[in-house]
Amino acid sequence: MQAVDTMSRSRMAEGRSGTERKWRRRALWALVVLLPAVIVETSYGSVRTFLGNNDLIARDVAWGSAAHFGGSDWQLTDLRTALGMEGLPANAVPVLADFTVTVGDPDMRNLWVGCKVFLTDASGRQWTPTATVSLRAPADVMICASAAFSGAKKGDRLKIRETFMVPKDAIATIRVAVGVGSERPYYLRFQRPES
Amino acid sequence: MIRRVSNVVLLVVAVALCYGMQTSTPHYARLTGLIPVRGGIGETIEARSFSLKVAKIGFAHTLKLNAFGKEKVLTTGGLWAIVTAELAARDASTSVWGGIWQGPAGLRYRTSERLGVAPGAPPFSLEPGLPRKVRFVFEIPADQAANATLLVASARFSALDSEAQIKLGTVETGADGLPAGVIETFDLDQPI
Repeated sequence: MQAVDTMSRSRMAEGRSGTERKWRRRALWALVVLLPAVIVETSYGSVRTFLGNNDLIARDVAWGSAAHFGGSDWQLTDLRTALGMEGLPANAVPVLADFTVTVGDPDMRNLWVGCKVFLTDASGRQWTPTATVSLRAPADVMICASAAFSGAKKGDRLKIRETFMVPKDAIATIRVAVGVGSERPYYLRFQRPES
Repeated sequence: MIRRVSNVVLLVVAVALCYGMQTSTPHYARLTGLIPVRGGIGETIEARSFSLKVAKIGFAHTLKLNAFGKEKVLTTGGLWAIVTAELAARDASTSVWGGIWQGPAGLRYRTSERLGVAPGAPPFSLEPGLPRKVRFVFEIPADQAANATLLVASARFSALDSEAQIKLGTVETGADGLPAGVIETFDLDQPI
């Protein structure tokens, strides 16, 4: 009787350890799935914010052509230097970038949030618009941020100009780029005018 | 018996370790605060977004400046400390809000706002490839002049960005306790 008892107990223990082993293996496999899932879940917000705040991937636009961006069609119409200005640091050259934007979606205050026009050169340096240089512009010319809140309607053609100050050595390779909140991490990079 | 003693020893060690870690952990604000980049006068200090080189320091009793066509004279019960430096953006346009004069005992004085919006007053906007000379102007008590540190960062309140810390060194003082080189009036309109 006692022998039978011992046997059944050891068989039970064997069965229990088998189930335990099975569950232990399942738990380990679950870690393989859960750990990456936790990393993805916790970093999702930060990655989204990072991608939404930075101009990372360029979409090149050929000179003279327009690109649909932030609900509207953007065309770079002019990129030139302004010479003969006084009171600037030695070696500094003012640069003007002119765009014509045909409004598609008039909800620009949302689509163009964080609108940033900037210049990049061959070595990767970036210039944002300056307040040091102020040149008089025609009344219908806006900057990107003011255009976003101008209340323009679908089909309107907006003239946008941004002014920069860059060193002489960068002039040969600068290109104009535009980023808006609704399109990030993508941004437009315009080819230089053919001279 | 040995097992019991070793368990107690292990427990004591664990408690000591935990206590040590608890007391030595820096405050969260410090962990996520500014990252110092240290240097001295005449050295170019490379912060994350800008570089800075302090050229000289001057002290004066009054400041003279021209604001919107009007001459302004600023007096003080202490001293005006004027730090002349060269600032440059590194890879992208940026700005520097101003600076902090940290006295020998750690007292901090921000760049004076009494200058208002005079030309050349901070914030300083910086463009890559176009270094500019600037003046940081502080109003400090005379006893804060020696062994001070200049602290410069991009933004006034920021985290995990670099902060240039420049040791301004000893300043010779006269019998009256004022810096030996102190002048009566510093003209801020003179070119840097």
